[in-house]
Amino acid sequence: MAYKKILKLKVKNLLILFAIAAFFLLILKPSFASSPYVLPYPSSMPGSSIYKFHLIYEKLSEFKYFGDFGRYKYNLRYADKYLVEAKTLFEYNQYLLGYKALEKSNIYFEKIRPSLQSASINSKNISEKNITLSQAAEKHEEILESMKINTPTTFNWQPEKSSPTVLSIHELIGKSIMIRKNK
Amino acid sequence: MRTIYFYFTTLLLLVFLSYLFIDPNFHPLKEIYSGFAFSHKALVSYAYVFLVVVSFMLYLRILKMFKNKKLNKAQAIGIISGSAVVLFFSYPAMLSYDIFNYLTTARVLYHYGENPYLVMPIEFIGDQNLLFTHAANKFALYGPSWIGITAVPYFLGLGNTVLEIIGFKFLNVLFYALSLFLILRISKDYYRVLFFGLNPLVLIETLLSGHNDIVMMFFALLAFYFIKERRSAFSLLFIVVSILIKYATVFLLPLYAYLEYLNLRKRNINWDKIFTSASCSMMLVFFLSFIREEIYPWYAIWFFIFASLTHNKFLRGLSLVLTLFLLFRYVPFMYTGSHFGSTPIIKTVIIIVPVVVYVFYYFTRLKRMLGKW
Repeated sequence: MAYKKILKLKVKNLLILFAIAAFFLLILKPSFASSPYVLPYPSSMPGSSIYKFHLIYEKLSEFKYFGDFGRYKYNLRYADKYLVEAKTLFEYNQYLLGYKALEKSNIYFEKIRPSLQSASINSKNISEKNITLSQAAEKHEEILESMKINTPTTFNWQPEKSSPTVLSIHELIGKSIMIRKNK
Repeated sequence: MRTIYFYFTTLLLLVFLSYLFIDPNFHPLKEIYSGFAFSHKALVSYAYVFLVVVSFMLYLRILKMFKNKKLNKAQAIGIISGSAVVLFFSYPAMLSYDIFNYLTTARVLYHYGENPYLVMPIEFIGDQNLLFTHAANKFALYGPSWIGITAVPYFLGLGNTVLEIIGFKFLNVLFYALSLFLILRISKDYYRVLFFGLNPLVLIETLLSGHNDIVMMFFALLAFYFIKERRSAFSLLFIVVSILIKYATVFLLPLYAYLEYLNLRKRNINWDKIFTSASCSMMLVFFLSFIREEIYPWYAIWFFIFASLTHNKFLRGLSLVLTLFLLFRYVPFMYTGSHFGSTPIIKTVIIIVPVVVYVFYYFTRLKRMLGKW
């Protein structure tokens, strides 16, 4: 009798364990293949005292990143940086600043391909750089898709002493995705 | 004259030994690749130790001969010149692959037009230099002064790897000669020139392996020389150039500032003390270099060049002991073919034990001498 009781208890525990596992499996969101590319941490944000220094450094370091691979690295670095900045700013409902950051990210991203083309013309093997760029574009798209969910379609920006502007956030995000797709 | 004959025979044997170490991936010399050093590790290790010991003994003997006036100045210059010529023809990557790193870093900038501080050589897939460059996965390790200087041997090489390496070796011969000339200008003593110039570590690391430490130390010494000549602007320029070669001479800055202060106040400078302090400063950096990576034998040039200019017997003796035993640091790897296992421990013991024994011996002898007084 005691043996049967222990067996029953064990089966019961096992069923509970299965139930918990099934519960977690059900509530988990479906996961898609994600890029192994790693984006940087958010840097200083507009309004912070060191942000201006970062902007100056960004301009000055342009000279440091000479050469085809140098340009590639520079443009990818700042495309990443401004994407992360835009994401962070959108999360804090700073839509105008986020919008501008995303525009900057797009400008940098569009410059990556020409630098690789130039490298290829100069007989440099760009196969690995192409892979990295594809992974970066994939990661960017992931972030942009998540941005689309968490942002309003448009935002009416009302400055204090000038006329209001309508920020077509989703339109810009859509354009940004297209830029990454056409990399 | 027998000493001189043996001396050059030793150097020639060292040159021969160096060619047994040709890297299997070093395509320009694949015709004479034998793989002997990799298949006869014990034999080449014994041969190397033997040649180092013999060359050191002959070095001390030549110094003694010069002191006893059995060698004149012209003969001294002849021995130095001969050593430079013989070792110029050695295979440079016998003990270290740094010369390949210099070459490949120069290639990143001057051939590919990329910033070597941001783009690694390994990023140039298919480049033939990657086959034999051992630190291709690192950004440029040296300062901009060095990268600027490497333009000369790089362009003189006309895209030919062997010519480029010859260019690098010639650059080292040039800076070796300039350093000796400077030692002579400062000390006006040929003995000191021989003391530095014929030291086996200096010869092996500068003329065989082609390390750039001689270039950094030449500019540091030139900065001191110009202070001596009371030309501060030149002095400042050259200390900056020196620092921007390998950064190590940044540790000379406190001493340099003190010198400039004395110079401005027009006070008398005790140069013997200054060179002793400079040597001690560089020896401190040398001993601390294990924090960054490890104590490499060629770092001894940092303190040895100043030690050759002092009268401090303890420092000179310690420098000599270090230069001898540092050359043995290559042996554990040469013998085992591995950087792991007992190799790091043996490499540490090779340095620490002789230094402790020397310090103990020196102070015991000093105590005994003081006791006699």
